[in-house]
Amino acid sequence: MDAHRTVDAVWKLESSRIIAGLTRMVHDVGLAEELAQDALVAALERWPESGVPDNPGAWLMAIAKRRAIDHIRRAQRFEEKQEQLVRDQDTQEPEDDDVLRLMFMSCHPVLPTEARVALTLRLLGGLTTAEIARAFLTTEPVVSQRIAAAKQTLAAQHVPFEVPSELDARLNSVLEVVYLIFNEGYSATSGDDLMRPGLCLEARRLGWLLAAAAPRSAEVHGLVALMEIQASREKARTGPSGEPVQLHEQNRGRWDQLLIRRGFTAMLKAREIGGTPGPYVLQAAIAVCHAQARRAEDTDWVQIAALYQALVRLLPTPIVHLNRAVAVGMAHGPASGLELVDALTANRHLQDYHLLPGVRGDLLLKLGRLAEARVEFARAASLTKNVAEQAFLLRRAAAIPARTGPALVESTKDYLETLDAVTRRSYAQTLNRLCSRIGDIPLADLTKDQIEGVFEVSWGKAAARTWNRHRATIRSYLAWAGLDLEPDLPRRAEDTTTPEPLTREQIDEACSQAPLREQALWLLLHESGAAVTAVLALDVEDLDLDDRRATSGVSWRSATARLLPELLGDRTRGPLFLADRKPGPARLPDAADLCPTTGRSRLSYPRAERLFKLATGHTLHQLKPAKHP
Amino acid sequence: MRYLMMSMASDYAPDDNLYVEMGKFIEEMTTAGVLLATGGLDPNGIEITSSGDEITVTDGPFAEAKEAVAGFALVEVRSKEEAIELGRRFRRIVGDGKSVIQQVFGP
Repeated sequence: MDAHRTVDAVWKLESSRIIAGLTRMVHDVGLAEELAQDALVAALERWPESGVPDNPGAWLMAIAKRRAIDHIRRAQRFEEKQEQLVRDQDTQEPEDDDVLRLMFMSCHPVLPTEARVALTLRLLGGLTTAEIARAFLTTEPVVSQRIAAAKQTLAAQHVPFEVPSELDARLNSVLEVVYLIFNEGYSATSGDDLMRPGLCLEARRLGWLLAAAAPRSAEVHGLVALMEIQASREKARTGPSGEPVQLHEQNRGRWDQLLIRRGFTAMLKAREIGGTPGPYVLQAAIAVCHAQARRAEDTDWVQIAALYQALVRLLPTPIVHLNRAVAVGMAHGPASGLELVDALTANRHLQDYHLLPGVRGDLLLKLGRLAEARVEFARAASLTKNVAEQAFLLRRAAAIPARTGPALVESTKDYLETLDAVTRRSYAQTLNRLCSRIGDIPLADLTKDQIEGVFEVSWGKAAARTWNRHRATIRSYLAWAGLDLEPDLPRRAEDTTTPEPLTREQIDEACSQAPLREQALWLLLHESGAAVTAVLALDVEDLDLDDRRATSGVSWRSATARLLPELLGDRTRGPLFLADRKPGPARLPDAADLCPTTGRSRLSYPRAERLFKLATGHTLHQLKPAKHP
Repeated sequence: MRYLMMSMASDYAPDDNLYVEMGKFIEEMTTAGVLLATGGLDPNGIEITSSGDEITVTDGPFAEAKEAVAGFALVEVRSKEEAIELGRRFRRIVGDGKSVIQQVFGP
């Protein structure tokens, strides 16, 4: 067996404790590491002959300690002040939190990030300079230089070997370094060099080390849980040719249940400690949600969206914003997700962020905006540097069909064209709502679940009559389009008791307070006994004032006839009853519903009904005279 | 990488001290994130053999007691040498006997 490799394995298991113990003795992390290295060299000399000792960790520690005492004695001859150190070393035994102190040192904020990472891997992970260089795709001299500079900075700034009083803030810096190491390994998709995936294990080991050293911090357990659950997906996250496989498409059977279970255990510890969840606990909670879903479609997106909502406040990074948009898109529909993504697109710092067009493309695809989706995927591909990912995005762009059959919006428009004006107005309400909630998807993709969802959200609480009207519309449309969907929308029982018709006295009373338009409408309804929709649909050119009737058959008597000339003024065409204001440019109705003289649109049923209700407390139907037997 | 460490049955009965030491070792390995799963095995195994279309089920025990696996530990390590080092520590606690270590592929 290779003795050198055995020594290396023992060293990686023991070095953090040895270096931490020595640092306590000599108060200088650089010196402590040198002394520990001396012990390592001694082991390399002796173990091949004598065999590995019974307790190799203790053996290394004993040798290192002896060297440390020698060193202190030598130094003492030159420097009086070293006396103190000898006394310290005699009285101070290693303490349980020495490893934690060492972590605070190697992750100290006075050091630049890459120095923290290198020093932590070196001092706590026991990695060699060569291993660190390989993991971070750089050269040994660069790493050596980085570590040496870091040690100098720590000495020059007199960074103490202690557990800081502002524990939480400093702990964040440690957690950040550990998670950075994890991600460096996790985001590497090329498997040529095993050292990069090895970084994930190294980071997880550091996490466990930290959890043992600081067991009362929820965030530490949160980070451990997060890393375990992310690591559990390692085998499932790349396809056969190294291309990334998105979470919802991963084969969940390949998720490592052992790691998931460990992640859950760590999460339970974090929950037991309680307190306001920090960013790592929240991220872990999101990972737990995913891990709990046996199938992608079982994912509790509403919960995940809520967790991201909390996370985005603590950690407003682009990736968190983007993931939140994805979660919202899944929980509350692609249109809601797209709204958030579009808000991000406006941020010019994110204009070259390749994940943004990728996500946007996904949402557009779901909304059936195929051409736009294709452009976004192509843009995402041009922004990423990872070749496998680039190929994947280009394949997605190419996979979008030019047009798969008719789409929802066009189809509903075609259907409305076949109807008469009055029915069209009514049906358009239903179908436009359907289109705006579901998006312009290919007709073939429309599901009964989607339709039921729109009904529940839009009209679930509406009156039975309204519900039934929308229900009838959708059924007619589906039959016309030849879609065999049969959404589960039960007909609701309508309140059949017709309200009492109003008396002529009540109507005159109401008219005495009302403007001209309302008076004319109400009296016309009363005198004609016609349907409200038919009366509102009247156009000026259809009226025969002398004969007191319209081409549609609606007729009236003297009270209405007295008012009509004034109501018409000099209008010769267009709707008889007009809205109060001109419509905004975005809500422009069909030309037939627009008055060519005033530019106002036709008075709508809901508006007319509301005005009457406000004035009298009754409904327009009650204007219809009682039928005399 | 993962290794499965299987330990063969030994002649002598474990004493209390062994349980304490083992408990400590297992806890240490769990806290360090090394130990993924561990357990002891009932010597009365059930043998299932297949031959052609035929599947035969036979109640144990079977092999020499010393050759039967009595316990296992699944560990996640950086290297083969690390697995061996953990095996050494384990054997030092349990005393005379034999363990076999094999790398696990998958999942």
